[in-house]
Amino acid sequence: MHRVAAIALNTFREAVRDRVLYNLIVFALLLIATAILFGEISIGVQKLILVNLGLAAITFFGLAIAIFIGIGLVYKEMDKRTLYALLAKPVRRSEFILGKFCGLGLTLLVNTGLMAVGFFLALFYVKRSFDAGDSYLLVAIYFIFLQLLLATALALLFSTFSSPALSAGFTLGLFLVGSFSSDLRELGQAVELPGLAAVMEVVYYLVPNFRNFNVATSVAHGVAVPFELVLYNTAYAVLYGGLVVALSVLIFHNRNLK
Amino acid sequence: MISAQRWLPLVLVVVLVAGYPLVRIQQRVDARLQNFRVEEQMLYLSSGEWVKRLALGYDGLLACLYWTRAVQHYGRERLGPKRYQLLYNLLDITTSLDPQLLLAYRYGAIFLTELPPSGPGRPDLAIKLLQKGIENNPDYWRFWYDLGFVYYRSLEDYQLASEAFLEGSQHPNANAWMKVMAAKIAAEGGDRQTARFLWQELYNSTDDPALRQNAFNHLRGLQVDDEVEYLQALLQRYRQQTGRRAESFQELVAAGWLREWPTDPTGHPYFLVAGEQILLHEESPIDTSEKGRRE
Repeated sequence: MHRVAAIALNTFREAVRDRVLYNLIVFALLLIATAILFGEISIGVQKLILVNLGLAAITFFGLAIAIFIGIGLVYKEMDKRTLYALLAKPVRRSEFILGKFCGLGLTLLVNTGLMAVGFFLALFYVKRSFDAGDSYLLVAIYFIFLQLLLATALALLFSTFSSPALSAGFTLGLFLVGSFSSDLRELGQAVELPGLAAVMEVVYYLVPNFRNFNVATSVAHGVAVPFELVLYNTAYAVLYGGLVVALSVLIFHNRNLK
Repeated sequence: MISAQRWLPLVLVVVLVAGYPLVRIQQRVDARLQNFRVEEQMLYLSSGEWVKRLALGYDGLLACLYWTRAVQHYGRERLGPKRYQLLYNLLDITTSLDPQLLLAYRYGAIFLTELPPSGPGRPDLAIKLLQKGIENNPDYWRFWYDLGFVYYRSLEDYQLASEAFLEGSQHPNANAWMKVMAAKIAAEGGDRQTARFLWQELYNSTDDPALRQNAFNHLRGLQVDDEVEYLQALLQRYRQQTGRRAESFQELVAAGWLREWPTDPTGHPYFLVAGEQILLHEESPIDTSEKGRRE
């Protein structure tokens, strides 16, 4: 456990050194521009657009970090040959993968947390107060974090056996397919092709269902998020993410590093 | 290595030299494509359901952007060509993306019913939009009020207006006057007092500044109608007593029939044309009056 924590902290420090957190400046500017601009050019949706854009920006900035750092987690260590020095020490391959995952997870947690602070400050600027409905925004941000952990797990998986460019393509592709999964299932049911509905049903359960975690439109209107959904989404992310990380460990364990 | 002091001026010169003609060319391309772009938008964006599917779950964000586009489109068309071709499509996509965006239905219905040149004058589309709003938000009774208002004001169909108010009044949260309004419209049809009540209620019930301003404009229009009617009656009495038409309001002031030259609620003077027609001043911002409207 201690070794996993050491690798995780090192991964976090490396991300900070790589100026990953600079994206916060862009995020802050985006929110400020939105808060000021949309009050001028639209009618009555200043708060709505701030919430929707803020949550979308937290997702996309986080996703960019999860994918573009995640795909290099293993590859970079191998390319720079630092992995061999590390594995020569009493560190298991599984601990290395787990440490990398936790490190990027920590980076995303800090990044998402800081963005959430900026987001609520911008919201306060627009509304001049908070109400009970705003507490559901925290749930939406928590769901985004779960989404990012899933994306990190996928990027890490591809990073264990593929090049960074291909890993980025695979992860982004899976994110897109996972966001369209319910549409794919509907398509399978709508098109009268023998067996297609069953295939799409399998695809629906196989790919990570990223749409599960998107409640932005509802919480923007102050609609409550049921507690059961929080539990189910947490369980889904832990199970699915856990399986993907376990698969990464398995692949990396069997990989010939010579 | 070349220092920044040397390459920066060169880069600036190149950007300026190449940039100016690029901007000019783009402006010419825009001018030539202007008419095609409207058609392009119609082709690509006409289905709300498809836009929703392509939104990747960010329906709310896209709805806000489409709503902003609808507002911009309405404003641009109102100041420019006055065709409003995309207005309903943009509102339909907005409300398909976010069926709970109540403002888009309410404000959209007002945009759609405004008579040309201030709007497309399409109460049929306003009704379609409001019925979609009712279907998606059955707990929001004010859509019934809006629907009744469109029937009442734009179509002058008092039977359907009364039915809409009655339907809305059955909602548990509806204001008690909805039932009264249903009965009043069914019994008396359209009169200015009812219209004033409906606009006043809209003014009181919304926090949105633009919606309030619109209701306020209509209330001022109704006030102008009252004042014009009063002045017409006064002119008629003057004619009966003196045996001739008044040339201007100054004549009525001089004869002691009026204390001063009459002005509209914004302070602009009324004009008397041919001794009987009363018009608003051309600089008066009031454009919702039936009686004092300038052609």
